[in-house]
Amino acid sequence: MRIFVDSDVVISSLFSKTGAAYLLLHRSKITPIFSNISVKELKIVAKRLDIKENKLENLLHNKFQIIKLKQPIKIKDFRGYVKDVNDIHIIVGAIMAKVSFLITYNMKHFEVEKIKRDYKIILMTPGNFLQYLRSF
Amino acid sequence: MLDQTYSIQAYTPEQVAKMLQLSKNTIYELINRGEIVAKKIGKIYRIPASSLSFLFTGLDDDLFQSEQEDKKNLANVQKEISKVRKNL
Repeated sequence: MRIFVDSDVVISSLFSKTGAAYLLLHRSKITPIFSNISVKELKIVAKRLDIKENKLENLLHNKFQIIKLKQPIKIKDFRGYVKDVNDIHIIVGAIMAKVSFLITYNMKHFEVEKIKRDYKIILMTPGNFLQYLRSF
Repeated sequence: MLDQTYSIQAYTPEQVAKMLQLSKNTIYELINRGEIVAKKIGKIYRIPASSLSFLFTGLDDDLFQSEQEDKKNLANVQKEISKVRKNL
């Protein structure tokens, strides 16, 4: 099962070891996918939030599969899937990685139904995804 | 309304049967199998709201709590991500 993970989930996992994001990234056997653009973004965000660089580096190198997105992204092709154009690299990453799930806490910034219809990608929060895994 | 319901501390098996649209006997079977955690007080059962978390939140209680844990920092995290994304 392939999942793409938004940056809010990764950063949340670095804040708390009892949060759903941490459980998803550390306790489940799934290898999450991330893009090179997200890596760049995460490094800046982590610095701004005083998260130790090695904590993030360890997580990225040990847990994630990183895909490379070609830049610049053709915004007009994907504009209809996000409410804020600045989030576009997340949906493009999920599409390019051919995942079945995009895990984010930022559901309201995405056109959830349209993404599901056109790309068969389901958006879920970490807790909902972990709940889904329990249904097997 | 869901918040109000969730604030009730415990339910009777009859109440839970109605909520889950199951028979009372099925609820007792689920209690016996451990699928619904209940407390036996004398001869009667009471089912804590946390056992029914999925009903109210869509998540088992432990997962609901773990999402709440993440949400403590989430506003700040998303604010910073938003700022950074504008300049990527």
